[in-house]
Amino acid sequence: MNTRPIPVPPEGARLQWHLDQPFRLKHLVIAILIFALLILTGHRTEMDRMVIMTTQAVGNLVGLNDESQVVRGLSKVADSMWPPQLATSEDIGRMNDFNPDDLPWFARVETRETTTQRINEETLQLESATEITEVLYDPTGYVKTVFAKMIETLEIALWGTILAVSLSIPLAWFAASNYSPNRVTYTLARGFISLLRSVPELIVALFLVLAYGFGPIAGVLALGLHAAGFLGKFYAEDIENADKQPQEALEAIGAGKIKTVLYAVMPQVLPQYVAYTAYILDRNLRMATVVGLVGAGGIGQELKGRFDMYDYGHVMTILIAIFLFVFVLDQLSARIRARMI
Amino acid sequence: MSQAPQSMVKLSAINKTWADGTRALNSVDLEVPEGQFCVILGPSGAGKSTLLRAVNGLVRPTGGAVHVDGVELTPANERDIRKSVAMIHQHFNLATRASVAANVLSGALPDVSLARALCGWFYPQQREKACHYLERVGLKPEHLHRRAGELSGGQQQRVGIARAFMLDPKVVLADEPVASLDPQISRDILTLLKDAARELNATVVCSLHQVDLAREFGDRIVGMRSGEIVFDGAPEEFDDQRLGRLYQNADWGDGEPDTFREDTPELEAAGGM
Repeated sequence: MNTRPIPVPPEGARLQWHLDQPFRLKHLVIAILIFALLILTGHRTEMDRMVIMTTQAVGNLVGLNDESQVVRGLSKVADSMWPPQLATSEDIGRMNDFNPDDLPWFARVETRETTTQRINEETLQLESATEITEVLYDPTGYVKTVFAKMIETLEIALWGTILAVSLSIPLAWFAASNYSPNRVTYTLARGFISLLRSVPELIVALFLVLAYGFGPIAGVLALGLHAAGFLGKFYAEDIENADKQPQEALEAIGAGKIKTVLYAVMPQVLPQYVAYTAYILDRNLRMATVVGLVGAGGIGQELKGRFDMYDYGHVMTILIAIFLFVFVLDQLSARIRARMI
Repeated sequence: MSQAPQSMVKLSAINKTWADGTRALNSVDLEVPEGQFCVILGPSGAGKSTLLRAVNGLVRPTGGAVHVDGVELTPANERDIRKSVAMIHQHFNLATRASVAANVLSGALPDVSLARALCGWFYPQQREKACHYLERVGLKPEHLHRRAGELSGGQQQRVGIARAFMLDPKVVLADEPVASLDPQISRDILTLLKDAARELNATVVCSLHQVDLAREFGDRIVGMRSGEIVFDGAPEEFDDQRLGRLYQNADWGDGEPDTFREDTPELEAAGGM
């Protein structure tokens, strides 16, 4: 053993003791600068106006003042959103596959009288014409539509996750510094992963809708690509940080890199991988409801369409569905996690 | 020493200098004949691990040549040679979260295709062999599917030995195989290792720091100090005076018995460090 004596100052030497205050003028200046920056950015993001408007709204609600833009806007939306739209009625005359003997559950055929007023071109008088149309009224028709869209959303999330996992495994291999063949592949893989992570799903989806058209393809690709960046980074870091000892053991018998990863790294990192993947699935389920806003399929696309048509009753139904969906998923995942651990 | 007809491991003038300038091995020559149980003894930092790792190329020597069974180790044939050189590690180096069975079978990985490795679809002979060796090292069928990390240290090293013998090695490198085990278990493990190696006529190069175990199990003791071989002989020749010189700060002269102090330490004291 190489033992070196601990250095001890010679006897009688005067020691210099210093115990300074924790803050100096430098820190005060920094604090003032940070405060100024907060004031400036707060003003630019209208935080001051937000405080005023919110105060007015609270005042209005407790009856202190009688005008609040916020309350007015919110109650207008709330009025038009309630009650949520559950039923559909469809003009039978426009349906191609209408079969009176095989109606959906609870659905019935109704006759509607619509009175329209128009100017008779000969007499130039206002005349009212009554038109009778038969409609198929389904009291839960819109719920069914939303449910089907919800299933589509689930499927988009599932396939987005599958795509992300299958893309990120090879990416992680090249992005793990101890297994990547050389610096070039390592840098390329890391760069690609950063690129995937840096672009939000919604923006990716926006462009993919241009490429693949409206519908779920763009949604699956957008979710998958973004999540592949996330998973690739975390998988790679776990491979890098894995205990080296079992890897050395397999390296020592010439097992080769891939087999070493399979038998010495995977057993260690698998629980973490499962956790990351579950997180990605959870995140994709929530993001899948949103990517539809730019036309990438699922419930979001329906939401956007209804919102643009001012069908706020439909919007309400969709929002309730999304809430229930996320709530049930949270409960489910919590239960599954509790069982797995 | 060691002029046996066939030398299984041959190190010729091996040097190893680490990137920071530390000399781990300084022109080491060593020949180990087939079937020998050769113990490398020496204090921590003497270069025992580096020497063992030079044999299978885990450490690339900065100078000199390594021959295993008459073939020179080069980066090109490294993987082939490693198949016949098993290694047993101080910290067992098992995949602790994987099952005992998976750990033992992983010792046969160089012999299976990637597709088989991916599905864990080892050949039936390999599965039988894994069971055979697990029984041989004293484990029970119920251990097969336990996680390796749940076993005691001694049991883990037994798994390590079973894994090492999966490829019928010609050479077994044991790097402080019993350093983290208690004396009785250490003795059991070394007995196992020695008997298993004898069955295959495998050559064992085993680094140890427990002098009593080295004397008991070694066919030959090689004493190392600061990257150099300072003793090489039969266990009987390795007396307390030589032991004292190996572990004391005294210079190792070339055979003159007067160059070291008389106050040789207790065996246990030397064995502890």
